Amino acid sequence: MFVFNQMSKTLIHGEQAMTVGEARDLMREKRVNHLPITDAAGKLVGIVSDRDMRSALPSDLLNADSSYREEAAAVLHKPVSSIMTRNPVCVYPFNTFQDVLLLMQRHRVGALPVVDENGFLRGVVSGGDMLNAFIEVMGIDQPGTLLCILAPNQQGQIKKIVDIISDEGISTGSILVARGLQKDKKAFFPYLLTNNVRQVKKKLMEHGFEMLEPVQWYLDQLPKKD
Amino acid sequence: MRRTGFLYDPRFLLHETGEDHPECPDRLRVIIAAMEQSGLMEQLVPIKAEKAKQRWIEAVHHIRYMLRFEETCAFGMPSLDHDENRICYDTYDVAILAVGGILKAVDAVMAGEVDNAFCAVRPPGHHAESDRAMGFCYLNNVAIAARYLQENWKIQRIGIIDFDVHHGNGTQHIFEQDPTVFYYSIHEHPSFAYPGTGRDFDIGIGEGEGFTKNSPVLPGRGDEEYRKRLTEELLPAMSAFQPQFLLLSAGFDAHRQDLMSGVNLSTEGYDYVSRLLIDLGAQLCGGRLVSILEGGYQLDILPLLVTNHIKYLAGLR
Ligand SMILES: [Zn+2]
Repeated sequence: MFVFNQMSKTLIHGEQAMTVGEARDLMREKRVNHLPITDAAGKLVGIVSDRDMRSALPSDLLNADSSYREEAAAVLHKPVSSIMTRNPVCVYPFNTFQDVLLLMQRHRVGALPVVDENGFLRGVVSGGDMLNAFIEVMGIDQPGTLLCILAPNQQGQIKKIVDIISDEGISTGSILVARGLQKDKKAFFPYLLTNNVRQVKKKLMEHGFEMLEPVQWYLDQLPKKD
Repeated sequence: MRRTGFLYDPRFLLHETGEDHPECPDRLRVIIAAMEQSGLMEQLVPIKAEKAKQRWIEAVHHIRYMLRFEETCAFGMPSLDHDENRICYDTYDVAILAVGGILKAVDAVMAGEVDNAFCAVRPPGHHAESDRAMGFCYLNNVAIAARYLQENWKIQRIGIIDFDVHHGNGTQHIFEQDPTVFYYSIHEHPSFAYPGTGRDFDIGIGEGEGFTKNSPVLPGRGDEEYRKRLTEELLPAMSAFQPQFLLLSAGFDAHRQDLMSGVNLSTEGYDYVSRLLIDLGAQLCGGRLVSILEGGYQLDILPLLVTNHIKYLAGLR
C-alpha cells in the first residue's frame, strides 16, 4: 500500500549537466517516459517528460529539411535543465498508493519522482506502476468469478456477505462497493478466487441478497426514449 | 441419421469430489439415465474407455506435473493446486481413462467406424494448463485429442470450438503460439466469469497470431449474443482456417438455470449452437467431429441439454 512497494526500484535518472540529446537517448534506451534529473550529489532538481522532449524538438515531419537538422542539433546540445520541470511534485516512499492516485489526478501528471526526507532521489512511480498495483489489488491477475450483489442500504451488509463467503472457504480477491446504483440499495462486487460459486450464490440468495443483473441494470439506467 | 459414437465408462464416476461440489458423479449418472430411458443410447455406437498412453498426454502436459498429480492422489490429499480441484485416490486413473476413451473416439471417427462422437467424460479439461490443475480440470482432454490427431493421424489443421460458459484458459495457452490449431471460445465476459481470461483482444501470439479467437458475452445476453457472435465471428474465422477435424469443448453451464454463470442461454439457444456447429463440421471437414463434455452443473437441465446435443450429432433432430 506504500509507494515503496510500487515504485520502479532500478533508478534511471539524468544529471543536470546532461544535454537534451543525452537525456533523450537515455529515455529511448531505457524505454521510460519520465526522467528525473538530479544534481551531482543525487538530489532531485527536476523531471523531464516525453512531452517536454517532444515540444522542445522541431517536428519529425520536417526531417528531410536541412533546417530541421540544424534546429534539432541546436536543441539537442542545450542543457537538459533548460527543458525540465523544476521542483516537480514528488512523493516519499511512505506515501500511500491512494496519495499517488490523488496527486496524479490533481496535477495531471503521468509519473512522480520519489525522494527521501533529504531530497535525494529514490525512484519513480508511474501511471503504469499504479495500473499494476490496481490489477493486483483487484485480484484480477488470478482466476476468479465476480459476484454482483444488491443489498439494502443498511449497516452490516458487507459483514454478512463476507461471512457467507468465508463459511464456504472461498478466498476473496477484492470487494468493490457501489453506492447510488439504486435508491436505498448498495451493490457489492466481490471477486472470488474460485470457479466454485454455485453454493455461495445459493447461500447469499437464501439470506435475502439479490443477484444484480449487471447488463439489465445498465440498460435500465440509460435515458428512456419517449 | 448419422452413426454417432458414444463414450462412457462407469469408472468415470470414481472421481469423487465430496459434498456440495458442483462437478460431481451425479452429472454423468443423470445423463446416462436420461439416455437409457429415452432409448437414445441404443441408437449410438458405444465406445469403450481404456487408459491413454503416457506419450499422448505428455504431448500436452509436463512430465513433472503428471508425477505430481499421480502422487497427490496416491497420498490421499484432498485437492490439487487449489481447494476447488478436489481429488480422491482414483482421480488420476479416471482422468487418464477419460483421455484414453477420447482418443478411441477420435480413432473411431478417423477409421470411419462412426461419423462423429460424443464423450461423456469426467473430469472436464479445458481449464487445465500444461503444468497446473484449474477449475475442476486436471488433464486438458481436448488439447491432448488435438495433438493426437496431428501426431498419430497426421491431420494438419484442427479447429477447437469451446462453448462452455467459461473461457478455456488452458486450451488457449497450450495453442496460442501454434498456427495449426485454431482455438475459438464463446463464454461469459471475463470481468464477470471464471477464470477472468479470454478477452477479444487475445488473438494468439507470434506465429499463432490470428489463430485464437474469443467472443466474450456480457451477463444476461445469451441467446441474442450467441447467435450474433457465432455467425459473425466463428463462421468466418473457421471458414478461413479450413480445419480438417473439429473438436468441441461442450459445456452446458451457460444455461439460464445453471447458477455457475449468468449469460442465460436458453434450451433453444443451445439447440441453435449445436445445429450451427454440426452444419459447420459438415461443410468444412466432412462432418469429422468429436464433442467432449466440459461443464454443466444444474442436474435438472443437464440431461436434456446433453441429449439434445447428441440428437443433433446423430441427425435425429
Ligand atoms: Zn464451465
